[in-house]
Amino acid sequence: MTLNGIDVTDFLTAMLATGLLRAVPLAIASLGDVFAQKAGLLNLGIEGMMLSGCFFGFHAAYKTESVVLGMLGGIAGGLAMALLFGFLTIHLRVDQVLVGLAITIFAAGLTGYLFRDWYGGQNVAANVRARSIEIPLLSDIPIIGPAIFHRQIIFYICWALVPVFAWLLYRTRFGLNVRAVGESPFAADAAGVNVIRTRYLAIGLAGVMAGFAGAFLAVADLRIFTIGMTVGQGFIALAITMLGGWNPWRIAAGAILFGMLNALGDSLQIVGVGIRTEFIGMLPYIGIMLALVVLAGKTQLPASLGVPYARGQR
Amino acid sequence: MTERARLSGMSLTPLVSSLVAILMAFVIGGIFLEATGKDALEAYRILIDRGLLSNTGLTETLKKMAPLLIASSGLLVALRAGVWNIGIDGQFMVGALFSAVTGAALVGDVPDPVMWIAAFAAGFIGGVAWALIPALLRVRFGLNEIITTLMMNYVALNVTAWLVKGPAKDPKIVAPQTRQIPLEHRLPKIPGSDVHIGLLVGLVCIILVAILFRSTVPGFMLDVIGRNRRAAVHAGIPVATLMVVALLVSGGFAGMAGANDVFGVQGLFKGNWNPGYGFTAFALVYLARLNSLLIVPFAFFFSFLLVGGDSMARRADVPTYFIELLEGLMLLCFAVAVYLERRWSQRTARAASSDPATTSLAVAGESE
Repeated sequence: MTLNGIDVTDFLTAMLATGLLRAVPLAIASLGDVFAQKAGLLNLGIEGMMLSGCFFGFHAAYKTESVVLGMLGGIAGGLAMALLFGFLTIHLRVDQVLVGLAITIFAAGLTGYLFRDWYGGQNVAANVRARSIEIPLLSDIPIIGPAIFHRQIIFYICWALVPVFAWLLYRTRFGLNVRAVGESPFAADAAGVNVIRTRYLAIGLAGVMAGFAGAFLAVADLRIFTIGMTVGQGFIALAITMLGGWNPWRIAAGAILFGMLNALGDSLQIVGVGIRTEFIGMLPYIGIMLALVVLAGKTQLPASLGVPYARGQR
Repeated sequence: MTERARLSGMSLTPLVSSLVAILMAFVIGGIFLEATGKDALEAYRILIDRGLLSNTGLTETLKKMAPLLIASSGLLVALRAGVWNIGIDGQFMVGALFSAVTGAALVGDVPDPVMWIAAFAAGFIGGVAWALIPALLRVRFGLNEIITTLMMNYVALNVTAWLVKGPAKDPKIVAPQTRQIPLEHRLPKIPGSDVHIGLLVGLVCIILVAILFRSTVPGFMLDVIGRNRRAAVHAGIPVATLMVVALLVSGGFAGMAGANDVFGVQGLFKGNWNPGYGFTAFALVYLARLNSLLIVPFAFFFSFLLVGGDSMARRADVPTYFIELLEGLMLLCFAVAVYLERRWSQRTARAASSDPATTSLAVAGESE
């Protein structure tokens, strides 16, 4: 079956494949930010952490020609920004919005500077290739076969993190502590939970995942770095975390939805439906606002989100 | 405002934190420059020499002050009321496009001053229109403005890029841009200088905002809302209405900053033209400690950084992104300075109760 001369099967395959690929960084960054938000930290630095992950991931991959080291470089880049965020908001108790935006500005300046200085601003590609595996039989299924069962190993690892994070949040002492700290740090403290340590671990995890998401984008997917390449994806991830009600499974679904929204534009253009790139470009951002409207009032924010914690000061 | 708060607002102590933060940022930035193999002192010398001490540099710095002053005065209104308008960039772009289209339609047909006023009004309307969506979402659905204003920035980038390729495009030119306003119809220069009168517009905006906060009831109400929203509700202040007005006004000012750049500098609106004043305005309003008149010297300082930074890129091989890095460092150092200041004030006067820097904020669904 064909449409405008394009095979419909090919079209659906491409759309599903691209959509799932675009969803990965959103899902990964959102999963990590669940812990930050649940612990009471409104992490507007996530955009900067992700961008930092993109650059340091790309740089490591370019120098070592290794996907694994590239991903580790990205994680380090995201974690460094997160620790800075943690120190200022948890330790020094400075306003989280101010610090978050400062981190995002700082990361944009830092990565832009280093990229210009080290690469002359040219678009060079890292000589890496993330290895793919083809799952026998399943990959022969039309449409979903090539889109789901013939992908990079790292792609599977990312989606495998969804159940891992659900387990971490709902079935471990750490997850329980995080949720307690976000609801009432005072009660958690009185019950013997180390509030400061829990919040540090939570923002650290968020930074690691944001860096990982950035590295996935720059290393595994595109293999290049461009200045400001995250274009708000970190903020979108932050919103998806809220939209998903801090539930890893719903967040994964939300990320796929927005990944598909991204892919829809590309796919429609391939088929030749006359739609302008600008309309496609703004779909995810409008989508986030619409989703917030639809779910408005249906989600309960962690009670202490955005509030610094100081012992004995209520 | 209590007498104590008024005094602390007037004293120079809060300024010390900002100056220390700026100094620290320059030191860390210098170490960073050295670490990446640059001559930090030489780079800073060029920054000051070209941004401040040369005639052209000073002129450019004074010109660039205008959009920063206009946008910051609006942002101040929002931030003082505790409204996080992070959508300055989007409001700027839409305002710039509105004013460029208005100017292109009127140029030559009406006297220039009429056109300028119409264009600035159009810029204001454009900015307000762009802030209206987050404002409505806040009123109707209780959505916090942080995420919505951020998202609107990216939407604006796409919408203006589309409009300037289609309906708003100059049909005579291939490139996606509006019809160019001829030089002789742009904003006139301040007599005896090369600086266009946008700077005066900026100063007027700051003075208006200063008057608003110093001697009017709505300004006082906005301050109360910013300091303690719950108390404001109990005092019968129309909190929701005023917060929406603050958001719209700050959007309008950002749009006027766009009009200023169209009629003072560019002469037209181009697709994907986003100078990114939003974050700079944010940094400078914070470093000015949310004080209206202090915004003037800080706007001058940040404008100087932007202008000098361009020269640094050309003459000292320091990428222009260094200035953005420096802005980020200043805010981070400022965060540390605010903490130290708070500890200091707690030690000197144990009476200090709650500090605005640690006030809470909810993200969505505030139901007060």
